[in-house]
Amino acid sequence: MSARVVFTQGFARRYTDGVREFEVEAKNLRGVLKAMDALYPGLMHHLEEETNVAINGELHETGYFQPVPPGAEVFFIPRIEGG
Amino acid sequence: MNDSTIVTDSTKRFKWVGTRPIRPDGVPKVTGRALYGADLKLPGMLFGKVLRSPHAHARIVSIDTSAAEKLPGVKSIVTSADLPAQKFDYIGPERVAVNFWHVTRNILAREKVLYEGHAVAAVAAISASVAQHAAELIKVEYEVLPHVIDVDEAMADNAPLLFEDMITRGIEPAPTKPSNISKKLEFAIGDVEAGFKQADVVIEHTFKTAAVHQAYIEPHACLAKAEADGQIEIWSSSQGHFAMRALTAQIIGAKLGDIRVTPAEIGGGFGGKTVTYLEPLAAMLSKKAGLPVRLNMSREDVFRASGPTSGASMWVKIGVKKDGTITAGEGIFKFQAGAFPGSPVMNGCLCAFAPYAIPNQHAIGYDVVSNRPKAAAYRAPGSPIAGYAVESVIDMCAKAIGMDPLELRIKNVAGIGTPTISGPKHAHAGFKETLEALYNHPGYKAPLGKNQGRGVACGYWFNGGGESSATMQINADGTVLVATGSPDIGGSRASMAIMAAETLGIDYSNVRAIVTDTGNVGYTHVTGGSRVTFATGIAVVSATNSAIKELCKRAAMIWDVDPDGVIWEDGFAKPASSNVGDFKPLSLKELAAKAAATGGPITTSAGVNPGGQAPGFSAQFYDVEVDPDTGRVDILRAVCAQDVGRAIHPSYVEGQLQGGVAQGVGWALNEEYIYNAKGQLDNPGFLDYRCPVASDLPMIETIMVEVPNPVHPYGAKGVGEACICPPMAAISNAVTAATGMRMAELPMSPPRVLKALSS
Repeated sequence: MSARVVFTQGFARRYTDGVREFEVEAKNLRGVLKAMDALYPGLMHHLEEETNVAINGELHETGYFQPVPPGAEVFFIPRIEGG
Repeated sequence: MNDSTIVTDSTKRFKWVGTRPIRPDGVPKVTGRALYGADLKLPGMLFGKVLRSPHAHARIVSIDTSAAEKLPGVKSIVTSADLPAQKFDYIGPERVAVNFWHVTRNILAREKVLYEGHAVAAVAAISASVAQHAAELIKVEYEVLPHVIDVDEAMADNAPLLFEDMITRGIEPAPTKPSNISKKLEFAIGDVEAGFKQADVVIEHTFKTAAVHQAYIEPHACLAKAEADGQIEIWSSSQGHFAMRALTAQIIGAKLGDIRVTPAEIGGGFGGKTVTYLEPLAAMLSKKAGLPVRLNMSREDVFRASGPTSGASMWVKIGVKKDGTITAGEGIFKFQAGAFPGSPVMNGCLCAFAPYAIPNQHAIGYDVVSNRPKAAAYRAPGSPIAGYAVESVIDMCAKAIGMDPLELRIKNVAGIGTPTISGPKHAHAGFKETLEALYNHPGYKAPLGKNQGRGVACGYWFNGGGESSATMQINADGTVLVATGSPDIGGSRASMAIMAAETLGIDYSNVRAIVTDTGNVGYTHVTGGSRVTFATGIAVVSATNSAIKELCKRAAMIWDVDPDGVIWEDGFAKPASSNVGDFKPLSLKELAAKAAATGGPITTSAGVNPGGQAPGFSAQFYDVEVDPDTGRVDILRAVCAQDVGRAIHPSYVEGQLQGGVAQGVGWALNEEYIYNAKGQLDNPGFLDYRCPVASDLPMIETIMVEVPNPVHPYGAKGVGEACICPPMAAISNAVTAATGMRMAELPMSPPRVLKALSS
């Protein structure tokens, strides 16, 4: 099932030629990362090291195992640290 | 105890969750027997001392340690030459993603000192006085350079540069000239210009906030013991001993597996103990001396050399319709990073408008270095600063359209599906419920007297999830040990024991929760980001469920039935149905006693990386009285409503809310770093750096709104940070209500208020 992958403007400017939105087929976040890495070789490393992810608004670390429901919005955002 | 809990999920279904048992660390702490970093001693231990820069900005021409080395009793001296070079890169080991080129220069200065108090060298000697004398014998030749403290001045074209090659990141094309602006960030949704055109009223204002310290009671301290074979043991007061291990390993060039860190009790952190200052120095001193070394900061060291949160200079513009609909919000947020890049300005940009459904938003952030200690995290880092500016302008909008400021916020409050400025939509409820709880508080409409005013504000924090580990041991007498890797700052041992007791169905008094060292539990990220009750709580429940599975297996062995035929209920293994057989339920204690016969010790562990943490949302109102003769602001009433998910231990949740409010009051009214013309700090102590004391505060009333987080087994949400976001704006709004004037700079100290009243 396809998911809508979205990057912030800054991330897209740096790594995806400014393109912010993609449709990918994936069951889990690993699938999303692989699909994006196939489009932009090396992108998986940047996503793992620099981002957190919101899957339908729920925040997660950018790991492999998080399920991606059909039609989900997968939004990669800058990594946040608290106090 | 504060009996003002509002429960939206009113089904009472727990025996221990929501109760208030005594915390496991309570007795040692109130009897003075708990061991903090500075209490620890080892045979042959040396005393360390750090030599610090007297200058705000200077080039280091030379460091001569020869006289100090000759002093009897001196065992080792460390300078930056003893630490390996670090690559200029923002990626670090494990989850500690920082630029170690900067970190190593903060631990010990190299080419330049960048703030007064910057560490230059460290010595270890047989006594504190010998170490002090040796530090005085180290000759450092400086070439003093012009300095800059204020963020606006640091951004000016002619400002002294801390790094002559710093080119601002985030600007395209990249600037050709270096500056003190480390990074520019920009976030936007919608179209702000179109949004402002839809508004009936547009208000903009500038604001400044002072850098404030977390003001933890316990200064930083650690003890290190390095062996000749490379093994190193460290005892340290920190918010994350795994983080201390990772940072130390990287800074001194050791392997993670060679360092074992044991957490001491911690006397407060609030974000300021997620970074390292002393551990790598103590480890290197110990390695060179061959003896254990303890390093402590003095209170003055803490103020001069450890990270406060940023001060800031901000501009915010908000448009609103006459019916109260906010149509657009825009902000420019310039944050002091201190001497090295890394202020929480991104968080400020992301949190600034987060409590509200504003379709058009634009936030620009600047991370700016200046000659002051490197900023560190402080509760909800960045959010309270940006929130102060935004919530002040929202108050001005409410006044301009003649609407109650809380009603304006309720009308615009974010809910599930509301887009945020970074793009994702809010996924959790609780904001509206919290605002309504505050609005319905009987004090909100109570009359006020002369020179008195009431102000409200809201605050948002993401809260955290991430990696946590827990282990569980079932002891032979039926007691249970729960060990985690999360240093306990806010009573988390009690909440871990509560969740384990609830899940097992046994008495709380039979569960002992401890925080254990890096060698005895899996990796656990720092106690920060309001993540522990959520993420480490999930690890504890997961380890407990594994123990229950094992207990059921042991019962099945005793009954000679299939393990699937055994269930766990209220602390007993029972047959799942009459088809399994007629067996007397076996208690945990009975099964524990048979552990050897049924397969050996019952011990389980869990390592998790949960997401789905719900954000924190707090709404508060304050009643203040302003003395027109002195400018002093008294807090008459402070009411804090917050969505707490479910309060696992309500007393410690209330404590978090009250603590956030108390620190926010200090931030609003008194706390600031005062630098002299040489860039030296003039108030590095609690006598002159004015934190609120008990007599400054009324009883802080809390309203715990419980909207459980469905992702957590008991509904917990982080509670430790959102509560510090509203006080500064709410108190400022109250001062405006009392005096008719808008204070746009923190702190609103008596001299500043008096000056404003006079003008």
